[in-house]
Order: sequence, then C-alpha cells, then structure tokens
Amino acid sequence: MEKLIDDLVERTHIVLNEAEALKELQKANLQWRPSSESWSVLVCIEHLNRYGRFYIPEIKQRMQDGKPSKPGQVFKTGLLGNYFAKSMLPKEKLNTMKTFSNMNPLNSTLEKDTIDEFIQQQKQMLQILGDCRTVDLNKTKSAISISKLIKLKLGDTLRVVIYHNQRHLVQAHKVLREFEVYQNSTQKV
Amino acid sequence: MNPITQLQQILIDHPEVFTSDLELKRNEYLKVKGTTDTNLYLVKSGCLRVFIEDEFEEHTIRFGYEGNIIAALDSYISEQPSPYYIQAIRQTELSVITKQDFDGLIQSNPEYFQVWHKILGLLIYQQLEREVDILTYSPAERYRRVLERSPNLFQEVPSKYIASYLRMTPETLSRLKKS
Repeated sequence: MEKLIDDLVERTHIVLNEAEALKELQKANLQWRPSSESWSVLVCIEHLNRYGRFYIPEIKQRMQDGKPSKPGQVFKTGLLGNYFAKSMLPKEKLNTMKTFSNMNPLNSTLEKDTIDEFIQQQKQMLQILGDCRTVDLNKTKSAISISKLIKLKLGDTLRVVIYHNQRHLVQAHKVLREFEVYQNSTQKV
Repeated sequence: MNPITQLQQILIDHPEVFTSDLELKRNEYLKVKGTTDTNLYLVKSGCLRVFIEDEFEEHTIRFGYEGNIIAALDSYISEQPSPYYIQAIRQTELSVITKQDFDGLIQSNPEYFQVWHKILGLLIYQQLEREVDILTYSPAERYRRVLERSPNLFQEVPSKYIASYLRMTPETLSRLKKS
C-alpha cells in the first residue's frame, strides 16, 4: 500500500508543479486552441476539474466507510481497474480517447481561475492520499463516473484519477508547443 | 561566532556533502504534503516558505532565505511522511545534502558536533519564541514581536505570506504597517 501511495503522491507533486507553472502564463496562451474542435490548455484543465468534482467527494466518502488496512499489506490491482488505469497513462504518442459529452468543456468560456480550482483539487488529493495510508485499498471499493454498474478497488480509482491528470497535462503541454509554432509562423508573415 | 555562520563555513570546507543542486521556479513546490523528505537544503538564492494546510486555509510556519538551511524537520527527524509543504516564493537555487551525508560529516569531528548541538539549541529557542508569537492575543503585539526579531522578513517576503505567518488578514497587516 505504502509503495502505491508514495508513487501517487510523487505523481501529484509533479502535477501540482506543472499547474503552478501554467498559472504563470498569459491568458491568451492558455485559451488558444489549434482548431475549433480541439482543446485549449484551460479546456484540458477544466475537463480534469469536472472529474475531480465527481471523484474527490466520492473517494472521501468511501474512505470514511472503508476498512482499515493491516500493516505491511500490499495493494493488488484489479483486472478491470488495472485496464482502466493503464489506458489513462500518457504514452509517447498521445492516443485520442472518446470524451463523454458532460465532461467535454470545449466551448465553455474559461478564465485562469480554472487553474486555481485544479491546484486546490491537487491539494485535496494529497490530503486524501495521506489519509489513505490507513485504509484497505483492496477491500474498499468506489464508484466510477462512467458506469453505475462497475465498482473499482479504491487503489485503482486513485490510479485512474491521477494517471488521467497526467494524461491531460501532457496534452496541455502539446497544445503549448503548437501555440509556439503557430506564433512563430504568424510572425514571419 | 554565530553557530549558523560556523555551520556555513563547515559546509563550504566540505563541498563534497552537496549531492546536487536544484532550481525552483516561482511557486514551485520543493515538497508536498504526505512525502518523506529527509534532505537538508542550503538556500543559495531566492526564498521559500514552509506551510501546512487545514480544511480552511494555509498556515505559513517558517521562511528560508539566502544562506539559510531549510528542511522538513519533522521528516528529517522521524524519517516518516510529513504534512509540510515547502514552496519557492520566487526563483530559488538550492544545494541538496542528504541526511546520511550530513550526519556523517557532523559526527566526523567533535567540533562540528558542538556547532550542530548549538544550532539545535538555537532552534528550540526559536520555536519557543514562535510559540509565544502564536499565543499572543493582540495582532499589533504579534506584528511588533516579529518586526523586532526579523526586520528583513518584510523586505524579502510578500505581505500575504507574512500575514499568514502572523495569523492575521492581509488587511490587518497593512493597517498595522501604516500605524
């Protein structure tokens, strides 16, 4: 359990620092999108916020009702949980995935306070991870946002949420690189 | 001589204890809640703050400036996860010393051990002062105590963090500064 938590805390530490760095950028960079159907940096972040708004209270609730862990207990990933978690991890070349329409903020007007909410969520996640050190992440189950029929082990749910954050931060950085290319090309004309 | 200055001299004489250098951008976190970090960090430039967070707000606990040594001291002692966040207030450069290397250096020479012993004493004294700060009821008195003790704080650190350190709103701090 400790190994899993330490890994997820470290991932969240990196995510938090990346979010702080994004906050330093101009609003115009953060709102820019490569095409009308693709996501800006702020849309990526807002998408994560929407998942956070579901998962953070859900996980907190399950933790409260959860079973305590035994010392030295090891987390064993579930078949489905591992599949979901792994599919979230960003790969070398980012594969596209289908987004559920209620989680797609494509045409919302977004300001920099989107990042403030995300930063706040990461701090809540660190609190949750700390509290999870005494929870049995195998036996405690949690609901997921995409189906009412499926429940995952809490340890897998945490992996899904945190890997998902990493995935969309990779996407956000890709958008920023495209923005740089775009800016350079327009300056030349 | 001030034991902190003595320790700085010891470290300068033994550059091999620094395992690496780190650069932090403004607002970047050196450490977050829930991690175990037993390193000591020498602040080469810039400024950091140590804080904890409860359900409602952040509480700034300490600051580190150029020339200071900063650490998550609870983790350093217990080697367990600590609730502290350490964040760069502005662009900051650090040198990293692991606990193992530091302990080895300190124990290699009785004089070094004496210096470290004095520093730990100083640290306890500072914590007692801080305890009085926190127990002092009047915001004006809390402000006066800290101003007297660390006047340079107000040159180095943005007001919102000083206000958090003094357990008052930024508005109250700004009023006290003018009076």
